[in-house]
Amino acid sequence: MLYPDTVQRDPLVHKPKFIALTIFLSMLVFAAINLNGTIIGELMRPVIGEPSESGLFGRLSTGLVLGILFAVNIVLIGFLRFRWQVLVVWLELLALFLSFFYSFDLNFEFIRSKLWFMITQGVFTTLYVSAISIVLASIVAIFGAVAKLSSNGFAFAMASFYTSFFRGLPLLMQIYLIYLGLPQLGYVIDAVPAGILALTLCYGAYMTEIFRAGIQSIPKGQWEASRALGVQFGLTMRRVILPQSMPVIIPPTGNQFIAMLKDSSLISVIGVWELMFIARTAGAKEFKHMEMLITAALIYWILSICLELVQTRIERHFRTQSH
Amino acid sequence: MSDPIITMRGVNKWYGKYHALRDVNFSVKQGERIVICGPSGSGKSTLIRTLNWLEAHQEGTITIDDIELHPKMRKIDQVRMEVGMVFQHFNLFPHMSVLENLMFAPIWVRGLSEPEAREIAMTYLERVHIPEHAEKYPGQLSGGQQQRVAIARALCMNPKVMLFDEPTSALDPEMVSEVLDVMTELARDGMTMVCVTHEMGFAKAVADRVIFMDAGEIIEEADPHNFFDAPQNERTKAFLGQILQH
Amino acid sequence: MTLTRRLFTTAAATALAVSATASLAGDAMDRITADGVLIIATSADWAPQSFLNDDNEMDGFDVDVAKEIANRLGVEAEFVTPAWEIITAGNWSGRWDVSVGSMTPTTARAEVLSFPAVYYYTPAVIAIHEDSSATSASDLNGMKFGVGSSSTYEAYAQHDLTIDAEGVPSFSYEVMPGEIRSYGGSSAVFDDLRLGDGVRLDATIDALPAILTAAENGYPFKILGDPVFFEPLAVAIDRGDAELAAAITAAVAAMREDGTLSALSVKWYGTDFTSTN
Repeated sequence: MLYPDTVQRDPLVHKPKFIALTIFLSMLVFAAINLNGTIIGELMRPVIGEPSESGLFGRLSTGLVLGILFAVNIVLIGFLRFRWQVLVVWLELLALFLSFFYSFDLNFEFIRSKLWFMITQGVFTTLYVSAISIVLASIVAIFGAVAKLSSNGFAFAMASFYTSFFRGLPLLMQIYLIYLGLPQLGYVIDAVPAGILALTLCYGAYMTEIFRAGIQSIPKGQWEASRALGVQFGLTMRRVILPQSMPVIIPPTGNQFIAMLKDSSLISVIGVWELMFIARTAGAKEFKHMEMLITAALIYWILSICLELVQTRIERHFRTQSH
Repeated sequence: MSDPIITMRGVNKWYGKYHALRDVNFSVKQGERIVICGPSGSGKSTLIRTLNWLEAHQEGTITIDDIELHPKMRKIDQVRMEVGMVFQHFNLFPHMSVLENLMFAPIWVRGLSEPEAREIAMTYLERVHIPEHAEKYPGQLSGGQQQRVAIARALCMNPKVMLFDEPTSALDPEMVSEVLDVMTELARDGMTMVCVTHEMGFAKAVADRVIFMDAGEIIEEADPHNFFDAPQNERTKAFLGQILQH
Repeated sequence: MTLTRRLFTTAAATALAVSATASLAGDAMDRITADGVLIIATSADWAPQSFLNDDNEMDGFDVDVAKEIANRLGVEAEFVTPAWEIITAGNWSGRWDVSVGSMTPTTARAEVLSFPAVYYYTPAVIAIHEDSSATSASDLNGMKFGVGSSSTYEAYAQHDLTIDAEGVPSFSYEVMPGEIRSYGGSSAVFDDLRLGDGVRLDATIDALPAILTAAENGYPFKILGDPVFFEPLAVAIDRGDAELAAAITAAVAAMREDGTLSALSVKWYGTDFTSTN
């Protein structure tokens, strides 16, 4: 929160100076983009004549009309309540975004014919690879965090070397190193396990820090209370410390999972048929790459939104549990 | 005369260069109630925390129930099972309900079944007079109630000794007496107790012996009657003068 | 503290136990016969050689040839789709047995791979945007070329192409690109070239069939002049398994002999590319 002042002023967007400035600036921007070649130019035909020959006058008048529309839109939204402002702006941006994609002249029949395959093969693989990796990464992170916090120099050195190494290399390079490097040592590992291993090790390194911060957020008194009851280290960790760290650990872990969902696209290079791989290949025969890429982009986006909603619920759950 | 259940002989402890405990000799017999007092920084909390080895000592010997505490020991958890501890800041587990706080160690450390642990927990909640809060979480209770839960939690392990580390000093004044009442009842029932506290009324009423510490040393050790009415050491007199003024 | 140490010992032991189960690369032919499966590495986005068809299955000329080879070895065909650089890097460690991916047997590749059989020859051509005014290869000197990374076209553009196969006509470097941009695959090159003449690229070098397929799908390309070289395209295997090499050589020779290869070439390219004539 920005904690706004209790004194209510007129919203900025209702000040005449601001409105005038908005109209002027957006007119320049729209004029510079020059939309006279599009349907907007056609609509302006009564004013500017033949759009393609209207020149600077045409561009500026189109810009002015669009600028006024834009400013009116902003002023109107300014009257709404917060929730409605958010909703309206979201819908407007979404409509703009979709019309942008629509202007690519995409072949929706083709998208429909490939969509099911993208979901059953691509989304499914992306999700299960990410899910397995995040679980394994969490386990790695617990060990890493305990080792980093321990007074054992060996354990600390192992853990800090590990986190330093895997946070210091690009994920793509780790994928290649694991997929191509391990066989040199005699351990041949398939593409999917190699991808999971790379994601696990990379995200485990980041999550080690998250778990460490979570464990450190628990006051010493909790350790002492548990210890004073005769509870051993492992049990204290499992039953006392980690459950209390969860509200600190879960939100950033959720973010890591969402990030992993997208980073898992990198394992397409070793031939795992996840969403990105399907997006790149499914349109290859008919050269319909744009269709597949945009579809995949929207799928990734929707997945992220769903996961963010789930994460909010989990966060709320942990907040109410530990009041 | 029974054997002492706690013995400290020639105990020294340092934090870095700071000498926290100097040559402490001290013992507690079964059923005895000891009150330790002294100005802040005198080492009284450190002393009580070495008794279940939340803090390690460097020189001398500490023996609890015939087990000596030392860095290589394997049985520290057994010692801690027999020594209940109540902290200044309660240190209840905030993610567990009151009942879960009480049942946690009996189930996982003593290996009791859930119904057994629940029965014991309810018994002790009644003894500290808050059975009606069993299903609440610590955050929903007042400070005094939390501290009584903490006492009950320690009692559920059926300890041989109870250690109290300034149990009332984090409480609002109106809640002090409810905690002291519970402690007094506990003393009447014959529990062996070592209390670090400034509550001199409690000391007079309950203690078999009062120990005064300053600068890491035991300065004076006497029964309450002699301690309060005829203190021997100048530092004790000065301390009592300050603390009993109001 | 001791507990932490114990945890770590356990973790290390588990890791060792897991990794010890990994298999060892070895006699490929024995394994193929034993499993009854020939694992083939090929691309999934290189129509018409190999691609995902409308049923989302692997299809194309390379895929058909690979299936036929497996058929003649008496085993099932199974496809994997690692990135092209990973296939050409060699040291497959037994992950797959052969590459049927229209690979040109260059000297550099021959250091890490064996090429038991050339199964067809494609003309490599220079393609330009249809708005381009270039009329001969030399008009493109100093221009921007887009090529697939680690491809023979890249090597040709860099004047560093050595083809290590018999029966291939000799060639000369007809163009001196000013800038060579390497892409992950042909489709990315095509998408950049289609943006317009000189927008991102001025020209590309690629296989004639690939260019023709793109043009059929509405890509505004035209072919400049005659083929710059003929690439022999071979089945590749990891070095060192003479038995598998012999089996593949025999299978491909038989396919050539009985006309299967030519038929497949005509099916996919409309022309018989199985010889340089």
